[in-house]
Amino acid sequence: MNIDWAALGIVAVVSIVSSVIFTILLASGIRLVSAAKIKSNQGSSSATTVSLGYVLLGLAGLLVLFGIYLIIPQFH
Amino acid sequence: MTELFVVITVIAVALVFDYTNGFHDSANAMAGPIATGALRPRTAVILAAILNLVGACLATEVAKTISGGFFDETLITVPIILAGLVGAIIWNLMTWLLGLPSSSSHALFGGLIGAVIVGAGLTSVHGWVIVSKVLLPAIVAPLVAGIAAVMATRLVYRISRRTPSAHTNSGYKYGQAFTASLVALAHGTSDGQKTMGVITLVLIAANLQEAGTGPQWWVIIAAGIAIGLGTYSGGWRIMRTMGKGIVEIETPQGAASGAATTATILASAHFGFGLSTTHVSTGSILGSGVGREGAEVRWSVARRMLFAWLLTLPGAALVAGLAALLSDQGVLGVIALLMLLGVACLVIYLLSRRHRVSHANVTDSHEVLVLAAAAPPTTYPNDPRLDSPKPKKAKKAKKAKAKSAA
Repeated sequence: MNIDWAALGIVAVVSIVSSVIFTILLASGIRLVSAAKIKSNQGSSSATTVSLGYVLLGLAGLLVLFGIYLIIPQFH
Repeated sequence: MTELFVVITVIAVALVFDYTNGFHDSANAMAGPIATGALRPRTAVILAAILNLVGACLATEVAKTISGGFFDETLITVPIILAGLVGAIIWNLMTWLLGLPSSSSHALFGGLIGAVIVGAGLTSVHGWVIVSKVLLPAIVAPLVAGIAAVMATRLVYRISRRTPSAHTNSGYKYGQAFTASLVALAHGTSDGQKTMGVITLVLIAANLQEAGTGPQWWVIIAAGIAIGLGTYSGGWRIMRTMGKGIVEIETPQGAASGAATTATILASAHFGFGLSTTHVSTGSILGSGVGREGAEVRWSVARRMLFAWLLTLPGAALVAGLAALLSDQGVLGVIALLMLLGVACLVIYLLSRRHRVSHANVTDSHEVLVLAAAAPPTTYPNDPRLDSPKPKKAKKAKKAKAKSAA
């Protein structure tokens, strides 16, 4: 039997960790942007919340770009 | 002359396989976004088709072997490739008819293995490779993707628990559309290569191309177009099972399962432990159902899928083995095999028409029916095909009422 257990373990850990990171970024970003909307509707300032939200969404976007980089063989 | 005929035949059949590969795997990327409404069905398949075509054209580094280590590469001859392709096509069509997602790579390997067994005997196949490359990944893929999806789904619901869904849905839909696009692109780069590899091998075997050279430009374009067209045609029966059959997918859940699918596919491609895209996406949809409180997972559907996965390799091998008996008999055998393939495709297509699933009704039901006897047609209450005039009349009546009220 010639099973690459190390590769299997790495794939499992990386898959789980990266999908968790992506969902945390996406869900938190959406939550902050929504909270900012609610705040500004109530008349209070929300500049920090909204910018932090967009930073998190931007990081999620960067992960998508990294995915494209991984897929396209010409890049590496 | 006869050799040229056989070569052209095999190239044509390889492109047909590529087409079935496309529509079989269209659902892997797009079933989730279609089910949640993140992308409209037509838009989703057009997007997936273009990304598959682009992916196929990007992947010029084609695997030099198609044996996958299952048997000695030197055993591969043109008739064996033809029989293997026929086995894979028929298996793909049968599972599509039943609406079951199954791995197209396993079907192709199974087909080639069956044809090799008929040609060179059972001992020529390396049994342990089947365990390490087929059985183990078929268990690992849904497990890993499933665990990732369970955790991602729990987190998504926990984080956005107090956020009004009117604010979250469009964000999650964007997330889902982007991750699904990555899956489609990755699919083009990996599966587009398979057909290019097969065609290139046939051309080399027929001395029409120098050994050790890459695929010709027209092979790349033809394979890309075949897989793109297949993806565009949608494979709606499989789309329904994956998007609706396993579990009802809510928008946040769809974003989580999309993330899990993409992460697992990219990780497996990058770290060299090959996992089937089909098994991974099924696993994450299943996991996202387990992770969401109150979601009803249809385990009977999941069980049927698992059986289909385990049967894919032997099933395709059996069909290909029978096909190999014919493809070995010279030009007449090849012609007979082609005719049988045509008849089989036609029969399966006609059977599929009895309970048609299309882009218009893909999300209307969770069941894919084959025979009328399986269930009464009333299981499609919203099916626009069941030309019952009632809903239309109701709409007209409403309009009339609205007018009179105005």
